[in-house]
Amino acid sequence: MNRRGALTVLAFLAAGVLAGVFAVNYLHSSPAPTGSPTSAEASPVVDINLTTVAAIGTLRPADDHPNWVGYFPTTYFKVPPNATVHMTIDQQDGASGLRNEYLGLVRGTVDNSMTVYTSDPSSAGATGKTMQAIDPTTAAHTFSVPELGVSVPLPGVDPNNPKNTDNFVVFSFKVPASGIFHWQCFVPCGAGTLYGNGGPMQTLGYMDGQIEVGS
Amino acid sequence: MSATRRLAYTLGAIWVVLLVIGSVLIAVLPMPPGTSSNVAGSITDTTRLLAWAAWPVFTLTILATIGAVMLHSRAPDAPPASARELRGNARMASAWIGVTAAVVLALAIIGTITLNNDSVAETLGLGGRATGSGVTGGHAEEGPPLEVQVIAQQWQFTYRYPSLGGIESPHLVLPVNTSVTFHITSLDVVHSFWLISLGVKADAVPLHDNVFYATTQLTGTYRVECGELCGLWHGSMSDNSAQVLSASDFTAWGQQQTALDAPIMKFLPPYSHTYEPAPGAYGS
Repeated sequence: MNRRGALTVLAFLAAGVLAGVFAVNYLHSSPAPTGSPTSAEASPVVDINLTTVAAIGTLRPADDHPNWVGYFPTTYFKVPPNATVHMTIDQQDGASGLRNEYLGLVRGTVDNSMTVYTSDPSSAGATGKTMQAIDPTTAAHTFSVPELGVSVPLPGVDPNNPKNTDNFVVFSFKVPASGIFHWQCFVPCGAGTLYGNGGPMQTLGYMDGQIEVGS
Repeated sequence: MSATRRLAYTLGAIWVVLLVIGSVLIAVLPMPPGTSSNVAGSITDTTRLLAWAAWPVFTLTILATIGAVMLHSRAPDAPPASARELRGNARMASAWIGVTAAVVLALAIIGTITLNNDSVAETLGLGGRATGSGVTGGHAEEGPPLEVQVIAQQWQFTYRYPSLGGIESPHLVLPVNTSVTFHITSLDVVHSFWLISLGVKADAVPLHDNVFYATTQLTGTYRVECGELCGLWHGSMSDNSAQVLSASDFTAWGQQQTALDAPIMKFLPPYSHTYEPAPGAYGS
């Protein structure tokens, strides 16, 4: 009798059973939905300021891809649990349009709206326009966190208006108690790549990033 | 009684016990993907049938392997086996090949019938899944179906409801006990719409309308995933919030979503089974 051989066969059998249980559990599971918390519990407020530029090299000359479009200074954020994230995006790029017009709708932010300024909102006398949607053809980029239901289209600067060099887009959204959530741009803005979806659209640090929620 | 015969009887008895226990477990254990839709039920039935066919073969193979190891293991320094010990058993080999071939052939016939002919499949108690006429899976039920368009893009699915004024939603919501016709397309690369627990899985191809029929049977919250490697955030192209609701809840959801979509409705293109993005949207 070869006890070791029999035990080896039984070990393979046990491994197979465990793999089967895992697969069945995975295919049967119906996890609880994730989304922006709506409770009124006290939450810290985090200010994040970003800039979008057509060529990241204008702000980050030593970048490996200075001609790529990108968010500046970073696309990685860490925020406290249950925080309200107050975003101000200095949008300096021109419009190239959304592939899915529906994403011209502002979703998942506080009041499902954003405020757009044509001058620095922190300067005296700045007045903004509250918007719930934009013409999808005028979108330059989006700031979208699909897992949190957040989607904000960023209107492009008007090339025919010399005074309109920047659009400052201000909005807030809430994060849950924990998790890592990807965010991205939905405008195919990777100029010079196939269908605009390559390069900076497929590389972390340009038009894609992560929000880590933790203490 | 020789040791070999005694071992054969013991393993045979174990095999019969395993057969009975396994067959009962296969009958009563919940098999994926479940019964949340008629398609899921059909897949579950097929999985059960395959499990019943495979279980006797699998257990016999394992027990025969264990028996062979126990009977014929040799010490590393033992002399080579004699020719008599190495001789095969032609009768046993023929029976083994014949039985397993018959099982595989039967499954092949059932599978072919199921794939090609809905009515014959249903006569056999199997859900058909005809693949002709541009249809990927499922079969149309009687009565007016609910048409839902699945629009894939890197990296999110959105859903359009032509019967609700063409509204669009970032989450899939369906009414229960309803025949649903999914029209699946993509705006960029090839994705795959996979509504796991309802057994719905179909490729989303740019400029192509892929149709899949399913009838919802159970309310609940379900997961949608992309089943086709589609770029950087493919792994995140999932949604845990797909819902099958009662008819009244679905109506209420439709009204709520219509209100939420109001600001964007004037910008949405007319409903179509495929969408060709404007050249400007391709970048440069």
